[in-house]
Amino acid sequence: MAPPMIDPALFDQLRSNIEQDTTVRKELDQIVDDLNQDVAFTQGLLSRIHSTPRFKYQSLFTQVEPALTKQTATISKLSNFASQYPYYKYNHKYTRTLQEAITNLLLSTWLGAPSFSPTPLTPGHLLTLDAVGSHLQVPVNLKSGQEDKFHITIEEYLLALINVIDELSRLAMNSVTLGDTALAVQISGFIKDLHAGFQVLNLKNDILRKRVDSIKYAVKKAEDIVYDLSLRNLIPKKEVAEEEGHDVKTE
Amino acid sequence: MSGYKRDWKGNEKKREGGGGGYKPATQRILVQNEYTPMFDNIRAELDEHHDRRERIVKLSRDITALSKKIIFTLQRVRKISPNLPKHIQSEVDSRLTEISKLLALLAPEIQGINRHRYARSLSCLEELAEALTFAHYLKTQTLISPQDLNLFVEDLTRKGGAAAAQDDTTMTDDNNNNTQLLPAVDLTQEDYLYGVFDLTGEMMRFATTSTALSGTMGMASAAGERTIVEDMHELGSFFEMLPVGNGNKFQWYKKLDVTRQSVKKVERLGYDRTIRGSERPAGWVPDLSGAGDMVEGEERED
Repeated sequence: MAPPMIDPALFDQLRSNIEQDTTVRKELDQIVDDLNQDVAFTQGLLSRIHSTPRFKYQSLFTQVEPALTKQTATISKLSNFASQYPYYKYNHKYTRTLQEAITNLLLSTWLGAPSFSPTPLTPGHLLTLDAVGSHLQVPVNLKSGQEDKFHITIEEYLLALINVIDELSRLAMNSVTLGDTALAVQISGFIKDLHAGFQVLNLKNDILRKRVDSIKYAVKKAEDIVYDLSLRNLIPKKEVAEEEGHDVKTE
Repeated sequence: MSGYKRDWKGNEKKREGGGGGYKPATQRILVQNEYTPMFDNIRAELDEHHDRRERIVKLSRDITALSKKIIFTLQRVRKISPNLPKHIQSEVDSRLTEISKLLALLAPEIQGINRHRYARSLSCLEELAEALTFAHYLKTQTLISPQDLNLFVEDLTRKGGAAAAQDDTTMTDDNNNNTQLLPAVDLTQEDYLYGVFDLTGEMMRFATTSTALSGTMGMASAAGERTIVEDMHELGSFFEMLPVGNGNKFQWYKKLDVTRQSVKKVERLGYDRTIRGSERPAGWVPDLSGAGDMVEGEERED
């Protein structure tokens, strides 16, 4: 008598594997939901930069910083949970949210939110990928041969950076409306520098390529603003020199 | 750029001031600023990733092609039996040897963290699972378990690795001991299940051809033996009862639907055979399994 077509134990085993996978996904969804909420709230707070003059930023940041801290706490929860499983198996579920969390961090530090770092950061400072990792206390850019656990990938950092560029090009316009032409000029220089950086990369036809292609519009937007200002002689003398030196420093 | 201005001797004229002029693209890209070193590092990392993916995609395409050839070869079998006809077995073996070499090249690229990173470029593993489960079914009339399949693929990878190492004469000494340490390709549960989904299609094709050619549906007709119809029913219920796989639900439903259709086609075959099979004079079509290429030629003439 031939053995049965399908070993009965096989079905049970496959079913329990799928069920386990479902449980993991559900738990992960819960954490990602929380993170989404934290990130959206922080983003909302940060959107006030468009209507807040720069000298009032510090009082805005006193609100932003607790929100960033909460966001970081949820990320470490996510990190602990996701590290138990192959990273790239579930990464797609939260990579977008994670990017936006990083966007918040990069944007607020660039604008000069002072805390989290033992050495207070000066405005206009861009956190590198490694710095983002140490702020969030998670590893970055894990590769073959390294442990398979939660980390921030290069792609996530770059995509977050492109979000920052978009947001800053919007801020350039609004800062002029608020009478802060110096900030618009500074942003224009920063975006141009990053644009030059992105042009160094060899990209394939993927999401990163698509987003990088959009940077040129942000550059154009910022340059148009600077053009409008210079046409009307509205650029403070010091910023003109910086703009030409193409290397933007603050104070 | 349309051209440049010349001086009265015909030499290129140096542009003065440079302001307002359009800078050539290369010059713009080479702008150095405080972020340049960071982007240079990132470029190296991204290039490494893209190159690896490229290599994986190429290997995957080749493995898929070879697996498909194995499946076509197996479709020339007419009867389920523990030993495949010799010419078919040798053809399958030679394809498997080729696959094993490719797997050995693939294995180091998809270890650890990279296994799931490049999972989308690894559709070849589904195809391989389909070919191997089909071969197993034709020999034993059972469904191979994921563990056994994985062992087989691991073994295949290591054989390929060992063969490659033996070609490389400088390092033959240590390699026999190290064979167990060579990285192996492992199949995920998804690779296995999607392979089995496709297996139902192959079983349907096998049942159809063998019924058309021999009227036996490829089975020994002794009483108490299972038929392909029963096996298909069992596989059908198996997939209906399994919870839907979480990866790509759309693909899962599509494959499930194809499986349902295959089951229905085989049902129809079973019905036809029960009704009309008895009208066929027994043995009017010879068993074609051993005949080889000549028979293929005759089929085409009909």
